[in-house]
Amino acid sequence: MSTAPVPVALNTFREAVRDRVLYNLIFFALLMMGAAILVGQISIGIDRLVIINLGLSAISLIGLVMAIFIGVGLVSKEIEKRTLYSLLARPIRRWEFLLGKYAGLVLTLAVNTSFMTLGLAVALFSVGRPLVAGDLLIFIAVYFILLQLALVTALALFFSCFTSPMLSTLFTLGTYITGCFASDIRAFGELTRSPTLKATTRIIYYLVPNFHNFNVIAAAAHGQRIPVSLVGYNTLYAALYIALLLVAASAVFSSRNLK
Amino acid sequence: MTRPARNHLRWTALVAVPLLLSAIAGLQTRIDPEMDSIAPQKDDLLLRSPSAIQKMSLGYDSLLADIYWTRAVQYYGARFATKGATFPLLWPLLEITTTLDPHLIIAYRFGAFFLAESGTGGPGRPDLAVELVRQGIASNPDEWLLNVDLGFLYYWRLKDYQSSASAFLDGSNKPKAPPWMKMMAARVAQKGGSLETARMIWSEIYESTTDPKIRERALDTLRGLKALEDESKLNELADEYQRHFGHYPASVNALRSSGLIAAIPVDPDGYPYIFGPDGKAALDPMSTVVIPKEIKDPPKSR
Repeated sequence: MSTAPVPVALNTFREAVRDRVLYNLIFFALLMMGAAILVGQISIGIDRLVIINLGLSAISLIGLVMAIFIGVGLVSKEIEKRTLYSLLARPIRRWEFLLGKYAGLVLTLAVNTSFMTLGLAVALFSVGRPLVAGDLLIFIAVYFILLQLALVTALALFFSCFTSPMLSTLFTLGTYITGCFASDIRAFGELTRSPTLKATTRIIYYLVPNFHNFNVIAAAAHGQRIPVSLVGYNTLYAALYIALLLVAASAVFSSRNLK
Repeated sequence: MTRPARNHLRWTALVAVPLLLSAIAGLQTRIDPEMDSIAPQKDDLLLRSPSAIQKMSLGYDSLLADIYWTRAVQYYGARFATKGATFPLLWPLLEITTTLDPHLIIAYRFGAFFLAESGTGGPGRPDLAVELVRQGIASNPDEWLLNVDLGFLYYWRLKDYQSSASAFLDGSNKPKAPPWMKMMAARVAQKGGSLETARMIWSEIYESTTDPKIRERALDTLRGLKALEDESKLNELADEYQRHFGHYPASVNALRSSGLIAAIPVDPDGYPYIFGPDGKAALDPMSTVVIPKEIKDPPKSR
């Protein structure tokens, strides 16, 4: 297998670090510290619950903002700065470039998420609740968030291959919101008496990336069992969808006239 | 990139994308039960304070009201006719909807209908239905239809005929109110629990509503009322038969043979009525007609 995407991925990661993208960790740390101090003062018995809910939601939200806003600029920035031309003059194919860019951002998100998870563990420790074996659920929830972010990044990259960063942001955000409400869209169709609407909402449900699959924050906070098979299914689901988006993005980007 | 390589990639995408999509759809059918097992459908309202939601709506309160109303309808529809279903969030959803948009007449009208229905049809809270419609009247003083609903709720659900008559009378004084409202007020005041009055009210509901569900409900009730009226007449005839022959008729045929009736009476489904050993007329077990519980077993009038 070609190793050409590896340097591109590492460069993308280095660029993100240089752009002070990881500064968001300071915000996350402050949020967790503030929550840990405040929650003990204003609530009874739910401090652990609040910390986990807040921490996992913040990890998801911050990651989402990064995935969308950096993702839509992955290609357009290179074109704008004209660095893409010198890159493509080297022995690297366009799909390899895309794959490298994608992997670089996912690596950035993974590092960022890891640090935030560490921050969450510290916050839990500070409210007198160190991580125990049962808290493995929190790590599963974090893993699902990471899968979700990888999928959002692929979406952003796909849209950015054929449209402007502004429209890519809107399309990615729109698809994300639709994906979060996929179950509701289907339920809405089921309630109607129109077979056409029922069939349409069913098709939408199965075609849009279903982000609801990755949301186990409440289950993790309440210590509910998460089936191991779900971890496998979600991993496969994300992998298939990401593969689909990257193949489509490569086909679009390869046909694009960059002159 | 060379043209053959580009074409190759395009073809790969054309083949891979549908294949991957069908694999993803198949996978989703496996994920669904797993997700249901860890997150059972738990309904909740994060914010229950209508005024707080109104403040947070940033001026988009009427749009938000539409969204909450849609949610209320979905919530009710998902539970309607489901055995053992409860409706704990119906009232909060309706309260939020009508606080966000006090002029959303449909939310008061249908909301009251939803709240008042009992058994598998709703939470059976006519008191809350009355409260909702009263709020609607306060916010929309010219809307006579709300008075019809209020009069109906008092009449049918609460058997409070005086309040019902006064609701119809108040409504009849509103601009655009139809003339029959005054007549209805008088009739309810005079003959509160009579079958004719009940039939008159349900007929008005059947004629005035556009909602198929309410129309269907009104038609079912009218069919039930017709059967109840028939049974009542047959019971009187059975008593007369008993006075003549010393025993109750075994069937409606016996009534016809005795000359008390000219033809065999049938229920709205077309089935002849039957007689029990006590001489009371009843519906054929095959009949789908349902006699309204509210009339069959009326609570004491206030």
